[in-house]
Amino acid sequence: MSLPPPHTLTLANDLAEIPRAAAALEAWAEPLDPPMPDLMALQLALEETITNIIHHGHRDQAPGSRSFTVEFSAPAPGRIRLTLTDDAPAYDPLARAEVDTSAPLEDRPIGGLGVHLVKKLMTHAAYERRGPHNILVLERALGTPPAS
Amino acid sequence: MEITKTQHATATVLALSGRLDGLASPALEKEIDAVLAAGSKVLVLDLSALAYVSSAGLRVFLTAAKKSKTAGGRATFVALPAPIREVFELSGFLTVLDIRPDVAAAL
Repeated sequence: MSLPPPHTLTLANDLAEIPRAAAALEAWAEPLDPPMPDLMALQLALEETITNIIHHGHRDQAPGSRSFTVEFSAPAPGRIRLTLTDDAPAYDPLARAEVDTSAPLEDRPIGGLGVHLVKKLMTHAAYERRGPHNILVLERALGTPPAS
Repeated sequence: MEITKTQHATATVLALSGRLDGLASPALEKEIDAVLAAGSKVLVLDLSALAYVSSAGLRVFLTAAKKSKTAGGRATFVALPAPIREVFELSGFLTVLDIRPDVAAAL
């Protein structure tokens, strides 16, 4: 089976882009026939990082006034990579403090879960500042057993 | 995402269907707030037809549990599909939220 060629999607800083990006990933990945849990994990990672770029990178910017890209690629059979590139100020989402997932209900912070889930669900995650760009690479091996 | 509300004698059941992403989660939060404002003490979230949830949806779930507890009631989550259950587990939600197999077990 031939791997699908990389595809780059340009997104605006608007939360309305989340379902469009999820649908685009699903359509691009179709030839790879990813198992449902893998597709959901990748869509979740995509949403969390898009939300981070909009809320942290382009904070205080009017929705739709900035753009960034995500590239979908298959670096190897059975592996899907998301590469997000934006020109916001340097920000490494992977450096966020770990959340305590064992705290009781009352002490549980409402935020911070997104990055935690990305780290848990992705096989590989790396951030790099290259010139004016934040580059975040996320990969998942298809068929990964449930994490815990 | 679709939200279907069913009123039982002592509980309000919200059945969620589709994708609970960052765009859809404010509507659910609004619906939950309305149920709690109406004085319902038992809120049941039926997740059997939920295809996807991100941290934005998880935040709404956690907030619903906290608000219900503060109001002297409870929020119960039922019928979690496997991928949703995995996200709950990774978030530590299986230990802090009230989770039951189905709606009948939550009433």
